Amino acid sequence: MPEGIYSAAAGMSAQQAQMDVLSNDIANVNTTGYKQQRLGFRDLVYEAEQGQPVGAGAATIDLGRTSAEGSLTQTGDPLSVAIVGPGFIQVRRSDGSIGLTRDGQLGLDAQGAIVTSSGERLSPPLTVPKGTDASAISIGQDGTVTANGTKVGQIQIVNVPAPGGLASVGDNLFAPTAASGAPAAEKNATLQQGALESSNVDLASAMVGMIAAQRGYELASRAIKTQDELLNVANQLVR
Amino acid sequence: MERGLYIAASGMLTELVRQDQLANDLANASTPGYKADRSAQSSFGDLLLSNTATGQTVGPLGLGVQIAETKTDLAQGPLVQTGEPLDVALQGPGFLAVQTPQGTRYTRDGQLAVDAKGGLTTAMGNPVLDAQGKPISVAGHASDLTIAADGTITAGTTTLGKLGIVSLTNPAKQGDTLFTGTAGAAPAGTTVLQGSIEGSDTNPARVMVDMIVSLRAYESSQKVISSIDETLQQGIQSGGVA
Repeated sequence: MPEGIYSAAAGMSAQQAQMDVLSNDIANVNTTGYKQQRLGFRDLVYEAEQGQPVGAGAATIDLGRTSAEGSLTQTGDPLSVAIVGPGFIQVRRSDGSIGLTRDGQLGLDAQGAIVTSSGERLSPPLTVPKGTDASAISIGQDGTVTANGTKVGQIQIVNVPAPGGLASVGDNLFAPTAASGAPAAEKNATLQQGALESSNVDLASAMVGMIAAQRGYELASRAIKTQDELLNVANQLVR
Repeated sequence: MERGLYIAASGMLTELVRQDQLANDLANASTPGYKADRSAQSSFGDLLLSNTATGQTVGPLGLGVQIAETKTDLAQGPLVQTGEPLDVALQGPGFLAVQTPQGTRYTRDGQLAVDAKGGLTTAMGNPVLDAQGKPISVAGHASDLTIAADGTITAGTTTLGKLGIVSLTNPAKQGDTLFTGTAGAAPAGTTVLQGSIEGSDTNPARVMVDMIVSLRAYESSQKVISSIDETLQQGIQSGGVA
């Protein structure tokens, strides 16, 4: 059997994966703090066919997320913060593990603890005195939180050595992994109160990417068609 | 047996290899730093035919075709701007040196990454080497590093290292956008462009044309085999031998 039919199929599935990633990006064009996914391509092993090297197609590599900052949107809400610079807000997930997010749409739970929009408490937790009105909360650039003029704690901005190794776990959260390294304080970032970071998805480039992926898919499918024709010609040898 | 059958069959087998290489080129139309294959055909050694009765020389007879060599087309691929600080494209000849478990390998795929210890790696996690063949550490500066045209990596005023760019003789592809070969001195005039990657140099139009040409050549060889087959059959039916 010709090998090419399989290498072309591998190329098609790589382009399909790229299409899926771009669809997800476009679906998240309005998700606060969302970062576009990056998918890389690589070629596969080469094997000798009649003494000549023949490749086995293409595959994708997960490169993590793009680093461009989304534009800041003013909300006027004292409990919304945008991270200016690299890094994440650290939260404690419901299963006890650490989660990282750039979605700064915060709120207060029934105990007065500062929580994210999906209900996770910050890590380390920050609680404002019971009955504090949201408008009386002020968050400084360094993350210092004051309620009615009294300091109650600091929102820490953290980052990992290799952000490309973070695992996306949904709900705008990332989980540190062995590949990403453990989170540590990030010095090059500040917080801006009353603003949110928009999704950094650029619709125009996502659309262009989809066109490129579709054409790449078509090209590989052409190779399959030709390989099929080769087999057909070979079949006609026997009458 | 009829020599022509085997000559025509060698034509079919050769085109099959060519088609497989073309299919791989198309599958890698989006692979950064991918270089397309070009194969050259040559005939097997000719045979000198002579008349068995008189001994008079008739002339040379080709014994079919084979792929003599596969050349990797090292043409510059198109530059694609990504804006990512860890993406680099090489403009001009040369390769980045990469440390793999199998030894030093070379690549033009500039989708770099940082590992958990702060080492600069390829997307597959293999350390990228500097001009002295040592891994480069960018610990703590993954998000704010600058890569200059000569490959020098800085963060603010701190120099973290310099990408090793080498020239390569007899480059051979081995997958994962890596090449093997004999490294030489840095090629003159090659610059590093941060925030871009070099796309695949597969030219879809050219590959399509090559595919059609190869398919038709394959078909022609098949027709030759069918004709010889028919001739043999007629010979058998008329009681003689072809």
